[in-house]
Amino acid sequence: MKRIPYFPGCGLKDQARGFELAALAAMERLGYELAELPRWNCCGTVYSLASDDLMRHLAPIRNLIRVQELGESRLVTLCSMCFGTLKRSAQFVEEDSERLATINAFMDEEDDYQGGVEVLHLLAVLRDEVGYEAIEEAVERPLEGLKVAPYYGCMLLRPRGLGVDDPDHPRVMEELLSALGAEVVDHPYKVECCGSYLTAGRADVVEARVAAIAGAAVQRGADLIATSCPLCQFNLDTRLSQAAGRRGTPSIPSVYFTQLLALALGADPHLGEQAIDPRPVLAARGFLSEVRG
Amino acid sequence: MAHELRLTGERLTGELVAKVEELSGENLYACFQCGKCSAGCLFADHMDLLPSQVLRLVQLGDEDVLSAQAPWVCASCLACAVRCPKGVDIAKVMEAIRLISLRKGEPHLSPRALAKEERLPQIALVGAFRKMTP
Ligand code: SF4
Ligand code: SF4
Repeated sequence: MKRIPYFPGCGLKDQARGFELAALAAMERLGYELAELPRWNCCGTVYSLASDDLMRHLAPIRNLIRVQELGESRLVTLCSMCFGTLKRSAQFVEEDSERLATINAFMDEEDDYQGGVEVLHLLAVLRDEVGYEAIEEAVERPLEGLKVAPYYGCMLLRPRGLGVDDPDHPRVMEELLSALGAEVVDHPYKVECCGSYLTAGRADVVEARVAAIAGAAVQRGADLIATSCPLCQFNLDTRLSQAAGRRGTPSIPSVYFTQLLALALGADPHLGEQAIDPRPVLAARGFLSEVRG
Repeated sequence: MAHELRLTGERLTGELVAKVEELSGENLYACFQCGKCSAGCLFADHMDLLPSQVLRLVQLGDEDVLSAQAPWVCASCLACAVRCPKGVDIAKVMEAIRLISLRKGEPHLSPRALAKEERLPQIALVGAFRKMTP
């Protein structure tokens, strides 16, 4: 069993339990232990876009110090927001030693961060390290006949050069879904923002966004949307369900990509948290009877 | 938003331009107003100024931009940042404008505004309060 230090983040310990539990179960079947980082703290969710806000980088850097304490040099995340924040903060201090020195000077208890920790998203680990061939071999229950619309959102792909894939034409989720046997449904909103944190205060804006995304997926015949972020998932699921009935809002369930991975590998997908329940469509396609824990 | 432009040399060399440039780290005058950022911004139809107009007002040193709603509707999605042909990261400019207000101690979001919400995930609360409160 290979071990990779893993940063869950707050969402996965709360409303997105299924995201994590499905990932842990699926990765185990692929021979990987996602080893939860000891003493991790919230990454701060949003990366500060200001040139001077060093304080906002403390939380991410402190997590990278925890990786260093393990003698490790990599950290994998599942949540796209955590991925973006940790990855960009790592880069922010990497490109300017003065910033890093100031941040290190602020922290008393920890050793200084030396730099060099690589932040990875699980989708990249599946692509670059596990490999789609190995995944295909491990599939017990191919998702044949299941039409899945990938949804990337923002932080998985942007800014250019730091995301897991090309920001305009990503393939990573499509390739994974294909390896699982699913039918990929392409749609024009897969890299377009769901409204993110505006969901606190501007639910109206978010509802308009998710209605457009879901509408595009439904129109192209998708059964499900696959997400990689608890915030996208909340917006596409809970906010969409709250908007249901208004202005002909479409309805389609969203699940985390790890849940589809678990399902295909014969592990428990830990479904059940969604406001728009994906289980009926999965059952209708014959995918839920063979699940085991 | 109809807007009367008053151009003066003082504004161009004034505090606003310098502050936004410093906070964002971006070269504001690299922008040649092509409008690609606005064309691709999914939130533009909820904004009172288009992203490119926000940038233009800052270029001109017009402090009215500080009372615009657009920066608060910006979701920091970075779509504009990856598409700008001149390499301007407008998301950073939006952040700089938000910070100018926030650093005067003016919050844009209050917990009271969320009182009717049944359950918002932490990720939404932490994100929104980090972006919209001092
Ligand atoms: S895309 Fe870039 S150059 Fe064009 S208007 Fe926007 S900021 Fe200016
Ligand atoms: S970062 Fe803001 S201004 Fe730029 S495209 Fe996204 S919402 Fe629009």
